[in-house]
Amino acid sequence: MNAVYDLGMASERVDAAALGREALAYADTLYNLARHLTRSPVDAEDLVQETYARALSAAHQFTPGTNLKAWLFRILRNTFLSHHRHERHNPTVGGLDTVVAGAPGPESTYWLRGDLELDRLRKVVGEEIERALESLSEEARTVILLDLEGLTEGEVAQVVGCAVGTVKSRLARARAALREKLRDYAP
Amino acid sequence: MTCDEARALLVDARRGRLSDEARAALDAHVAGCPACAHEAAADALLDEALEHRLPQRGAPLALKRRLAASWAATGLPVPPPDAPGGAEDPARGRGARAGWGVRWRRALVPALAAAVVVLALVPVYDRQVGDGGAVMVTEAVNDHLRVLGAQHPLDIASGGIHQVKPWFEGRLDFAPVVRFEGDAEFPLRGGAVGYYLDRKAAVFVFNHRLHVVTLLVFRAEGLPWSRRGLTPVGPVQAHVTSARGFNTILWREGDLGYALVSDVDRAALLTLLGKLAASS
Repeated sequence: MNAVYDLGMASERVDAAALGREALAYADTLYNLARHLTRSPVDAEDLVQETYARALSAAHQFTPGTNLKAWLFRILRNTFLSHHRHERHNPTVGGLDTVVAGAPGPESTYWLRGDLELDRLRKVVGEEIERALESLSEEARTVILLDLEGLTEGEVAQVVGCAVGTVKSRLARARAALREKLRDYAP
Repeated sequence: MTCDEARALLVDARRGRLSDEARAALDAHVAGCPACAHEAAADALLDEALEHRLPQRGAPLALKRRLAASWAATGLPVPPPDAPGGAEDPARGRGARAGWGVRWRRALVPALAAAVVVLALVPVYDRQVGDGGAVMVTEAVNDHLRVLGAQHPLDIASGGIHQVKPWFEGRLDFAPVVRFEGDAEFPLRGGAVGYYLDRKAAVFVFNHRLHVVTLLVFRAEGLPWSRRGLTPVGPVQAHVTSARGFNTILWREGDLGYALVSDVDRAALLTLLGKLAASS
């Protein structure tokens, strides 16, 4: 039987055993995100391990009933950023909140792609998708992967620390950037 | 509804976040706008590619064990309540240090309790993760069935392994290492490029009497390889099993993974594995 511990906050009682059990169940998901963020199996392991260490030290700050997965993702991303801040200053693709003047938008280029793009998307293989994803900025990769994990826009906003509307626009730009990258992988 | 408005709703529509009214308006716009119909189709294909083809990597077993252990070990030295450099809310950034030592103590007891439970659960959890090997077996059998069902399963008919292997150059992003040239017992019929789960594969087709044997060679990284119940065959550790009436053997050597599938008996398939492993 799991004990329920009062961690000092009137409305916050954490079943610590259940929390630990549930947190470990996200190890694969967190590691997968870490691999895509760090692009390195060794760095991904270190990042996940530090994420769990930070989560443990802050277990009392987790609010029962909220999304543990999103909370862990947020810790993981903050940990990643604290170790990889240089990447934010040198992204492969510019920040998602920056609109490059003169850059062609979907409206001006869709007719160039036509069904050729659809054919390419049907045939692109996993390794090509991964390479394209890895070529995007950390912001872009993060919002795409969190959306892929099934987080709501509100939960993604909590993880990355911005407004819901910003998540929506970042996700749209990130997906557009990924599609552009995948155009390079002709079948 | 404008095109910009419609495209902004495409992801929401596929995530089920639109009202019936908004969904109907979007559908009506897309039905009458070829450009937005293209965008909707491309966005849906992008989702399909991400959800089904982007490699998903599980945490290594060693990492899981370290995580479980860290929950037990972390925090054994309990700092005094007013010690400098207290814990931060890792999800909120700096700050929130007041009284952290008290909270640390309060968290320590349940954390240790959790660690006991977690350590006990790791073997069960690992077994669940290890079931990913079933996915690999299923895919290997499906690929073998595709070979059997195809009218022209071979892109290159065999004139020997030294004719088949060079044919793969430029068609794969790895070099398939297969040095067994075939023999009277297992003649090599030819090869083809196929797909194994989310990646390209070299497909070699052998015969054994009247039976077809499919050998798939692919990049091994990122796949849920079974770690238990492995059978040593020469220098390799093989996962030997059967599914839907087919015997299958999966193993890895270095960066490459291999899958043998056929309806020949298990002993014959192991004989072929012995020839492949001995020559690789």
